[in-house]
Amino acid sequence: MFIIVVGSGKIGYYLTRELLAAGHEVVVVERDSGRADAARDEFGGIVISSDGTEPTVLGEAGAKRCDILIASTGADAVNLMACQVSKWSYQVPRTVAVVTDPANVPLFKSLGVDVTISTTELILATMEEGLTGGPLVHVLQLHGISPSGASAGIVCVRIPPGSPVVGHTPSELTLPPGTVLAAVVSREGEVRALADCPPIEANDEIVAITPPDREGALWQALTGGA
Amino acid sequence: MASGGKKVLIVGCGRLGAMVTKALLDRGDEVVILDLDAENFRRLTEQPGLTMVLGDGTSHDELRRDGIESVDSFAALTGQDTTNALAAQTAQVTFKVPHVVCRVNDPIRQKMYEELGLRTVSPSKIMTDLVTQALDA
Repeated sequence: MFIIVVGSGKIGYYLTRELLAAGHEVVVVERDSGRADAARDEFGGIVISSDGTEPTVLGEAGAKRCDILIASTGADAVNLMACQVSKWSYQVPRTVAVVTDPANVPLFKSLGVDVTISTTELILATMEEGLTGGPLVHVLQLHGISPSGASAGIVCVRIPPGSPVVGHTPSELTLPPGTVLAAVVSREGEVRALADCPPIEANDEIVAITPPDREGALWQALTGGA
Repeated sequence: MASGGKKVLIVGCGRLGAMVTKALLDRGDEVVILDLDAENFRRLTEQPGLTMVLGDGTSHDELRRDGIESVDSFAALTGQDTTNALAAQTAQVTFKVPHVVCRVNDPIRQKMYEELGLRTVSPSKIMTDLVTQALDA
């Protein structure tokens, strides 16, 4: 895919490295000339030293044929504008904004940003994972937005020993309405389709899709509130 | 122009923000003005009806503390298009402020935000028009 990364700070820099390693075509737009030079030393001529919120600059970066634009600067305001300009001026099919203030997540979604990644929420989720047994980890928020402004997400729950689902197959489980199981990943890392999944064991991980207001109930059903 | 008695929240106490604030106070409005740099408040003098707040006009928490939920109007007037666009869209979409104005310097972005439903003003565009007219006169 062809991806434009706006911002080559800590997130943008490593993101660019990984995207290139995965074989994607990448153009980086970085306003700060020092950071742009550092990125150019590493990545070569794919770095544009300019303002990624300027329509003409995004045009030069190739926004017209770009598949995804990722706005990864540390400033929410810059990331929002880069996404809005690329969507409005160049019809970029998928825009992704890194968000520092979690309050901006619903705002950016209603303003047309396709995916928002809240670094604060990611850190909180990871922290909770370290602290409690069997937490609900947010894997990805999905595209569609319900009338209430919430969008369903893919989540993952590790089954603690003593959970009521241990010893049962996925088809035997009673789940909160509106939630769907996607797969079971065994503790050995084996991915199992639901149809022929053997009984669930402790430390298996369950991947599910759920609206945000059912997360608590889903977690309760899968862990027994452990 | 509507006259007096309104509550207005302004983000950005540069030359434009300060002059707009004075004009609104003169006609009897109540103004809360936000800026990230205390130095900028030197442009204004303390007086009844004016509250100067050192804070970030793009932060939901800050705006709520400054009473955004009860203001009649909101103007984002900093020198940064990005800051203004985020602040104004927060006011309009998240807090549903009845009247929102956003300063946008870049003409292409101004057109975009107008089409996206924001009321915008562009000092550079207004100046360009005035200068061109003056040259023709």
